[in-house]
Amino acid sequence: MRLRRTVQAISFSTFLLLLWYAAFPLALPIPVDIFLRMDPLILILTGAGLRGFLLKMFPAVIILGMSVLLGRFFCSMICPLGTSIDITDRLISGRGVRGDAEAVSGASLKPVKYLVLCFMLVSALTGLSLAAYGSPLALATRFYGMLAYPLVSLAADAGLAVLRPLADRAGIAVIAYADIPLRAFNLLWITVALMGGIAAGAFLAPRFWCRYLCPAGAVLALASWRPLVTRRRVGDGCTSCGLCRTSCPMDAIGQDPHKTDFSECIVCMKCARVCPEKAVRFTPGKGSQPLRTGLFSRNRRALILSTLAGAATAMVALSTLRGRACEGGPGQVMDPTLIRPPGSLPECGFLKACVGCGECMKACPTNTLQPAGLAAGLAALFSPVMVPRRGPCDPACNACGRVCPTGAIRDLVLEEKRHAKVGTAHILRHTCIAWEAGKACLVCDEVCPYGAVSLQRAPGIAVMVPAVDESRCNGCGFCEHYCPVVPGAAIVVGPMDELRLESGSYRAKSRELGLSFEPKNQGDPPATENNGLPPGFSD
Amino acid sequence: MPKPLIERFLFGLEEHLRGLMNRRDFMKTHARGALMAAAASSGVLSPGPLLGAAVPDISVAVGGAAAATRKAVEVLGGMKAFVKRGERVVVKPNMSFTGSVMDAVNTHPEVVREIVAMCREAGASRVRVLDHTLRPSEKCIEGIKDACSIFGDDLVQALEKKDFYREVEIGNAQSLKETDVMKDVLESEVLIAAPVAKSHGSTGVSLSMKGMMGLVWNRSIMHWRYDLHNSIVDLCTILKPRLVVIDATRVLTTEGPGGPGKVITPGTVIASRDMVAADAYTVQAFEWYGKKIGADKVKHIRLAHERRIGRMDIQNLNVKRTVL
Repeated sequence: MRLRRTVQAISFSTFLLLLWYAAFPLALPIPVDIFLRMDPLILILTGAGLRGFLLKMFPAVIILGMSVLLGRFFCSMICPLGTSIDITDRLISGRGVRGDAEAVSGASLKPVKYLVLCFMLVSALTGLSLAAYGSPLALATRFYGMLAYPLVSLAADAGLAVLRPLADRAGIAVIAYADIPLRAFNLLWITVALMGGIAAGAFLAPRFWCRYLCPAGAVLALASWRPLVTRRRVGDGCTSCGLCRTSCPMDAIGQDPHKTDFSECIVCMKCARVCPEKAVRFTPGKGSQPLRTGLFSRNRRALILSTLAGAATAMVALSTLRGRACEGGPGQVMDPTLIRPPGSLPECGFLKACVGCGECMKACPTNTLQPAGLAAGLAALFSPVMVPRRGPCDPACNACGRVCPTGAIRDLVLEEKRHAKVGTAHILRHTCIAWEAGKACLVCDEVCPYGAVSLQRAPGIAVMVPAVDESRCNGCGFCEHYCPVVPGAAIVVGPMDELRLESGSYRAKSRELGLSFEPKNQGDPPATENNGLPPGFSD
Repeated sequence: MPKPLIERFLFGLEEHLRGLMNRRDFMKTHARGALMAAAASSGVLSPGPLLGAAVPDISVAVGGAAAATRKAVEVLGGMKAFVKRGERVVVKPNMSFTGSVMDAVNTHPEVVREIVAMCREAGASRVRVLDHTLRPSEKCIEGIKDACSIFGDDLVQALEKKDFYREVEIGNAQSLKETDVMKDVLESEVLIAAPVAKSHGSTGVSLSMKGMMGLVWNRSIMHWRYDLHNSIVDLCTILKPRLVVIDATRVLTTEGPGGPGKVITPGTVIASRDMVAADAYTVQAFEWYGKKIGADKVKHIRLAHERRIGRMDIQNLNVKRTVL
């Protein structure tokens, strides 16, 4: 059966291609985040956290529906993490990966994925989303978008450095001036560790993650308890040789090879391929027997424990200083570096909706979007923040909201996005070279796209000094990015006065608040300095 | 923080390869610099205009953008006086901002196109239009790139990577003793400055001298470590254009360099071999924030005159004005 492999290859290439195209400007007419939106775990956890169904996640509903009919085909044919594990399994154990790991691990590990699901679901219901650590699509997107992509760019750039002089001599300017943007991301080692751990499962069993740990797999396993249309069927030719059982990467076949644990079967159809009698088929019809595992009756105690653990974990997270920050009110402790992308939901909702997939960070053209690290608490390590020193937010770009699979960052048209104020800049006068050293500078004024920085006279200072008009400042960070003071900029953006709307128009809201994000007016008062000379002139 | 190993390795490798070819280029650049300095100083030392000289020090043409550009250069002897057959040329316009032609924040695309056309006619083997943009480059260079596309799609480039720059020493510097300059500039025979005339919040005006900052990698150090005006003059000791063509078809007289501010439309193009003279003339020819201001009120022009990069005493120079 080459069908499965073909579908898997097409699906994986499509996933990579769409991720590649998750870049500004968005060039494809199809949503590049479609794979993330097929992840049933994201559907369930965001639904549980936000107490509602996210319309954006309807592809996951379709996947669940199809799984009821066809079994866990998603795992073997669509999931890019599953494909990656197939690849690393092959690399680590070679062609001879066999389902013989039960001797090491024991069948008792299989229910663990249900416990993980239960833990995450209860924790989401209590108010803490852990999708970033369990969703296979979030993990794969983060790995390929934030780790593999920068590495490939770095390698390509090194290659280009060698080619450039040759291309220049040959007059091929396209290559001579080619400039591959290099991305750098925070927290890469954690992604390396997570993916390394998942790959290392191959030492114990094939598809170790899918078999034992994947909570999305657990959701699909529940849906495909008894696939209604096609499922593994064993015909009369079976000699009970057991070859199918030992070849099954998911250990889904019973001691009696007629029996199948449909929740474990990922429809990879390897059993059909290896069967010497061609007795195994995946078709509608008779001849399939479910393997009764007594899964829940045997694991009641563990399920109760994981429920308690999930609730407790969420409660601990929500009792930390950072965990409470999103609610505002007295004693608010919000990290001053926590500048969320424009159009982000109000923080509490944002944390519940964000799955830490990194699609927005992959798409961000200036690399300003970075994983937050500990700024928003341990659970939100991979939620996006703006780091203006690394890059400013381009007023002409709205890619982050366009590609967000869950709407944690709202999909805004440019005009709306321009009014989604992310914070406010303020000047650190004691390090500003104009304020402190009386040097001509004003780069911040020069680069501000919104005309929010103006030149002023200050007593005792020979040069014009910068001042921020808070009502014009959008928080884009051009000033901080280009400030010549190093390493710490003398004008910095903080989330002060950020605008976060769950729904409704940012433009209307910012108008209501008296904010203006139009280019500088010509009616600015004429600035003068020494002896009535205009700015920049001197005797 | 130590650099990542891979970065250090790649960087080391590159430095090594670069070192192999560096010395020869360095000698070449410096020999050229010395010749230029000698030529320039002969002019600087002589008081007043050279009597009977057929070629004026400053040529001013009033008319349409392209026609005035051509005329201004023709009066100086035509582009062949600046570009010899087979020479490589870098044109440095202002294209660091997004904005329409009438915002006067970038050089008029037709002025740049006409300069490129004249370089081609003079037999330049290669012409590049380069800048180190401030805002996202694609939008900034769009207008000029479109205008120059008739000469090929690879002419106009914004160089945003350190790889495209190479460190050079500035022998006569007072403050900025070394900086990374675009390799293209170092490897070309001819540099043509083609700035738009505009005001500048911290340097008074942004003309050909200030525009040289668009050819270097690290501009911020010129702000925070040194006196900006003084380091601009330092930079101009090594980046001395053979020809300066200032686009004053529109002039941003207030709120520069980014605008929007008050734009006047003198329809003028100013050309000169002397960047200081061209800048000084431009300062005095137009209003700034509604005032007439002397060129000596611009500190980097004043310093450049004192350090004999060029002359700001326009009254002693030969200016030829042509109205088309």
